[in-house]
Amino acid sequence: MAKEMIAMLLAGGQGSRLYALTQNLAKPAVPFGGKYRIIDFPLSNCVNSDIDTVGILTQYQPLVLNEYIGNGQPWDLDRLHGGVHVLPPYQQASGSDWYKGTANAIYQNISFIERYDPKYVIILSGDQICKQDYSDFLRFHKEKEAEFSVAVMEVPWEEAPRFGLMVTDENDKITEFQEKPKQPKSNLASMGIYIFNWDVLKKYLVEDEADPQSENDFGNNIIPNLLRDERKMYAYHFSGYWKDVGTISSLWEANMEVLDPEHSGINLFDDDWKIYSRNSGMTGHKIGADAVIENSMITDGCRIEGEVKHSILFAGVKVEPGAKVKDAVVMGGSVIKSGAVVEHCIVAENVVIGEDAVVGAMPSEAENGVATVGSGVFIGKGAKIGPNAMINQNVKEGEEQW
Amino acid sequence: MVNANADALGIIFPNSYDDLVPELVADRLMASIPFAGRYRMIDFILSGMVNSGIDNVSIVVRKNYHSLMDHLGSGREWDLTRKNGGLNIVPPFAQKNVKVYNGRVEALASILHFLQYQKEKYVIMADTNIAVNFDFDDFLKRHIKSGADVTVAYTEEELPESARKSETDNKGLYYTLDLEDDRVNNIKINSKASGVQNFSMNIYAIEREVLIDQIRQASVRGYVFYERDILSPHLVTLNVRAYKYEGYCARISDMGSYFRENMKMLEDKNLDALFRSPVYTKIRDDNPTRYMTGSKVKNVMAADGCIIEGEVENSVLFRGVKVEKGAKVKNCVLMQDTVVKADARIEYVISDKNVIIGEGKQLKGTDTFQVFVEKGKTV
Repeated sequence: MAKEMIAMLLAGGQGSRLYALTQNLAKPAVPFGGKYRIIDFPLSNCVNSDIDTVGILTQYQPLVLNEYIGNGQPWDLDRLHGGVHVLPPYQQASGSDWYKGTANAIYQNISFIERYDPKYVIILSGDQICKQDYSDFLRFHKEKEAEFSVAVMEVPWEEAPRFGLMVTDENDKITEFQEKPKQPKSNLASMGIYIFNWDVLKKYLVEDEADPQSENDFGNNIIPNLLRDERKMYAYHFSGYWKDVGTISSLWEANMEVLDPEHSGINLFDDDWKIYSRNSGMTGHKIGADAVIENSMITDGCRIEGEVKHSILFAGVKVEPGAKVKDAVVMGGSVIKSGAVVEHCIVAENVVIGEDAVVGAMPSEAENGVATVGSGVFIGKGAKIGPNAMINQNVKEGEEQW
Repeated sequence: MVNANADALGIIFPNSYDDLVPELVADRLMASIPFAGRYRMIDFILSGMVNSGIDNVSIVVRKNYHSLMDHLGSGREWDLTRKNGGLNIVPPFAQKNVKVYNGRVEALASILHFLQYQKEKYVIMADTNIAVNFDFDDFLKRHIKSGADVTVAYTEEELPESARKSETDNKGLYYTLDLEDDRVNNIKINSKASGVQNFSMNIYAIEREVLIDQIRQASVRGYVFYERDILSPHLVTLNVRAYKYEGYCARISDMGSYFRENMKMLEDKNLDALFRSPVYTKIRDDNPTRYMTGSKVKNVMAADGCIIEGEVENSVLFRGVKVEKGAKVKNCVLMQDTVVKADARIEYVISDKNVIIGEGKQLKGTDTFQVFVEKGKTV
């Protein structure tokens, strides 16, 4: 049975700029927004857009991601025909290879795609926070009778040189592609989300693979080749919330924006566009008699006895009496012991912050870093972690790290 | 948790004790009464069975079971979507002159044929009026080791007032046990005695073949109640042993106890005890609860999906409760999707699902008599 469109989700990124957070897990598996992981966003978008077949291309540290995805049931992607499939590189008669680039990852899974005989394929990226209706994107693609469409966002002109830019005519037809140019001719940044007619994509993937000079990358090879051949290429304007959470500070910022949906535009309280996630199965959270909570998000299993201000706490976080948490992202299972102060930072999963320890600092003129504590780390009693520190090893009692 | 499956199947009676909380079961049954923020009463017994390796569970429903069907679905959340066994919901068989069953005996008689063809040697039976993290594995082991015909679990506690007031033939039947060592030699029905009693939890272990035999004989004689008509008259010949349960248990016997047992969840030690091993429930995919600037919260248990802008104290909030600006909620149990509009004040209120407390409205119960607002009503 043919599918109109299936999704291929690139989730192989190491996310090296997230450093301490991606030591043991791939970037798409990084927790976000209290009870989600980054990959919940594209997966939920797929389901909400009626896409029921998703291939997830993994390569770097896939164990957490594999277990998290499981059979896809939390996203309603456990289907008889289709559903979610995790696709690591595999051995073939012709030999085996790691995914050499984004295009090569899709190339190596041509046979997966052909099982569903789709007319269109949407290429998604597993490291963005974005609520987007892909069915509207497809409607645009069909209306324009395009062979390739890319979702673009208008960015401020001064930031444009950081992006891959699409130069278009008045009909949204792409005339030129500039990769991080010094002199931008456009401010339409590619979101890295593409719809291809499958027959066209397949032809270019095969051609690209045959080119030994190619980096096998969509941005650097496939798109320029399509342009060279004057294919029908269009840019689809997207104006909702979109954030590439590739760095510690952007990840922290995006989490904080969840606390201000009225201004930031990332509303997780939207019943018409739910974001699904695998459930922690913990009991409801508890706020103690002497606790102080201000402008925060708190989820199942949390026990709060101390002070929590403008923060996001994931499942099962404990904040003991007298501890203070401010402008912080504290991931699942972490414990903040009494008297500890945790500010303007990201604390990963299952971390213990000892009594009276200090982690991070509110931004000042000299420092505005976001301190990061990697998963499973133990921070000793009275230790001090500076605002620019990246910790992925235990810190002894009283020790200081900057 | 165990991988090895227990050699027992479970039977749950979800309608037992419905009569005790008529307000809460207007649209549902005992088993689907919301409890402790994000659960339904049946979640506790069902999760306990699953955690003890029982993966063949039958639920013999009697009436008002739509909410329960919706809650349980295919049983996936309890890991009971099995090819062999799994979750088996047995509704009354629609037939002319069929009557809805009354006691346990009639319920069991209706699944007798099914019971005959199961492979498990033992049967565990339970009601759903008690939220308890029960170790059925230990219970069954003890039953097997003791050589008893029937083992019944009990707690040492005082009988609830509703039991002491009730008449034998209408409200739920309470059983207290007279013991000699752990052998039951008398079962008292709706005892009026005060003080601590050996209070039956109505959790039983019995060999499947023995149960089938008992039910077959009882149903020809037109018996209704398992305890009154089968166990009690035969205690001399039937080896019935008692299993004392000393862990945490929350027994719902009237509105007052429903309120108190919810409130007890505000104490960490009670919460930890009741959730000693995981309790599974239906997933709703709510976002985390959001506490807005200006909210004041003290001693609260809340599930996901709530938005709190006002003040909340000493309360249990279920999923998706909204407390608007200037509203004050104190000593309340608010079920799913209750909305407390701006500047409303409520104290000692139990609200059922989808209740709206209007702007500026005031509603006040007392410690001993809470105001109950029916499902879907607007105050």
